[in-house]
Amino acid sequence: MDALLTSAVAGLTAGGTYALLGVCAVFTYRLVSVVNFTGAAIGTAGTFALIALTEAGYPTWPSVFAGILVGTFVGVAIGYVMTRWFAESSASTKAAVTVALLVGLIAVGLRLTGGQHPHVMPELFPGSAFRLAGVEVTIASMLTIGLAVLFTVLSDLFLNRTRVGLHLRALSDRPMAAELLGVKVQLLSLLVWGLTGAFTTFALMIIAPQRSPNFMTLSLLVVPALAAALVGLFRSFWLTLAGGILLGVIEGMASTVDSISQYRSAIPFLVVLAVLLWSQREARWDEAR
Amino acid sequence: MTWKSSLLAASLAALGLGAMAGTASAAGPTCSGGVIKVGAVSTITGPADFSEVPKATQAAFDTINAAGGINGCKIDYTIADDKADPAVAAQAARDLIDNKEAVALVGSASLLDCAVNGATYARKDIRSIQGLGVDAACFSSPNIAPVNVGPFTLTTAMGYYATNVLKSKKLCAFFIIIGGTQEAYKKSIEDWEKITGQKIHVLDLTLPFQGDLTPYVIKARDAGCDTVLTNQVEPQVVQLIKTVDAQKITGINWLFLAPGYTEQVAKALADTKQPIYAGTEWEPYTETDSAANADWIASMKKANRPLTAFSQGGYLAAQMFLKVVGSIDGEVTRDSVNAALLKMQPISNPLAGSPYVFGEGRTHSPMRATKVMKLEKGKWMVETADWVHLPDVK
Repeated sequence: MDALLTSAVAGLTAGGTYALLGVCAVFTYRLVSVVNFTGAAIGTAGTFALIALTEAGYPTWPSVFAGILVGTFVGVAIGYVMTRWFAESSASTKAAVTVALLVGLIAVGLRLTGGQHPHVMPELFPGSAFRLAGVEVTIASMLTIGLAVLFTVLSDLFLNRTRVGLHLRALSDRPMAAELLGVKVQLLSLLVWGLTGAFTTFALMIIAPQRSPNFMTLSLLVVPALAAALVGLFRSFWLTLAGGILLGVIEGMASTVDSISQYRSAIPFLVVLAVLLWSQREARWDEAR
Repeated sequence: MTWKSSLLAASLAALGLGAMAGTASAAGPTCSGGVIKVGAVSTITGPADFSEVPKATQAAFDTINAAGGINGCKIDYTIADDKADPAVAAQAARDLIDNKEAVALVGSASLLDCAVNGATYARKDIRSIQGLGVDAACFSSPNIAPVNVGPFTLTTAMGYYATNVLKSKKLCAFFIIIGGTQEAYKKSIEDWEKITGQKIHVLDLTLPFQGDLTPYVIKARDAGCDTVLTNQVEPQVVQLIKTVDAQKITGINWLFLAPGYTEQVAKALADTKQPIYAGTEWEPYTETDSAANADWIASMKKANRPLTAFSQGGYLAAQMFLKVVGSIDGEVTRDSVNAALLKMQPISNPLAGSPYVFGEGRTHSPMRATKVMKLEKGKWMVETADWVHLPDVK
């Protein structure tokens, strides 16, 4: 029992990461109706800008700022592609486009960052917050969980309580109608892309030092993040938050049980499958078909 | 001219005559058309770039060619890129064997050449002096013999070092299993158990290629491991040690294989206090003053190639091939090279701790010695000045 608790706490670090990126994915989906596979890659691009600058000898915090600018820029660039050419496309087309963009970003990113070679990643928030069940819970992992919660609360308030939020929801559901009603569609969309770009960049800067520091592994964090978003059915921020943390905890616990440990990377898919079955439980055959 | 210098001239002339007489009496290798055709199948583009290996082989051959070749035979070397794609690899091998009529493969380094082409080499009866054996098939094919120790023998050797030198009583092994390497790593640990008479304390074959490592380092700590051996590659090595530091774990030795021994890892882990060791494939390449490295360094500098562990492998493969071809009396063909490889005596080179031999046998893993490096304040230091020789399994 102790071992299980320990490994569950050990999984919190991963869980916070999944939750944070998952909430960002839901945010993007609800506002610009794109299932965004490039989310983590955008943040990774900004993070590697930070690494390049600090490796070149620039001070940390100005580099962080520059890195966030780069992330914002990459986010806006991808947003521009999506709104300019694929605004009227179906959700599945848009998702496919972002997958293609992800593959492209990873290929270019790996080339530019020297492939598999590790880099010196500046730790923005070093040290450990507290010790629980024999595991050091780092400040960075508490911060990711904290940011995930904060982002959840803010998104919820923003979308449901503000006028801009209302506009954005309209934009997501019926972009054409929103435009006819005088909502500045393109501008608002790019704003959302830039905002999530900046936010995921900052998130990844915190996460990166605890991860295998190369472009591909960081970009592929989007997979468990999207699994978390599915737990929230791409609607609920709170369920996504819970789903992400749960995924991390289950993964951590699985690593102590040898017989299932080798299948632990399949856990997100099992969770998604379970969620989909549960969410469809009341659908009648005719409707679901 | 004084009598001293004339005496010197006379003796030099005599020496020259003697040398010429020597080459005239031994037949030595001959070749039709003045060239010996050799090839390599390597991953150059794609997920990994091993081009340093065959390019170093090329540099070594260029040096020989510039000096007139072996007995007047120039080496015509073709490097084929397999793009880490099985179909391309198979095609490249067939092209080298059938169209280019290579007599042997030298200095190949690929993610999948051995696995894809091992059977083809056996069927076509051509042998490969692999510059860097990467996948498990490189060490379990009848027609392939790498010049590197390889991850599997190195695993056993590092375990042996942990038991004998670090006095480890609770060795734990964590492996990333990619492709068909599970059995090979299990066997490495079994060999270690037979050689040392110890039992492995924890054997975990589920280390993720990507993902958080906190649960694993906690598992190692709670199991009481005094030494942890893993096969992680560069970025994961850094991630693992960062995670260990974040968990404030002390008192465990961390042992890595040759892929961990890079300057980027050293730089990224400059701040850690953890005892970190890595086994090398050859004489440590960062020791640029070492006499064992002198010939290799001279050759690479002349060809403007970087001084990396990869280039040691390519260079070494070329040296072995040149020695073997030099021993042939008569025409250098695929058959005569095969015969020479089969009956060759072990050849030593200061770059490697074990002599290289091809010989008969269904599998080849001739190299069984490593030097252990320790990471100290961002620099790799030689921990074992002498080679750590892995004894044979009883």
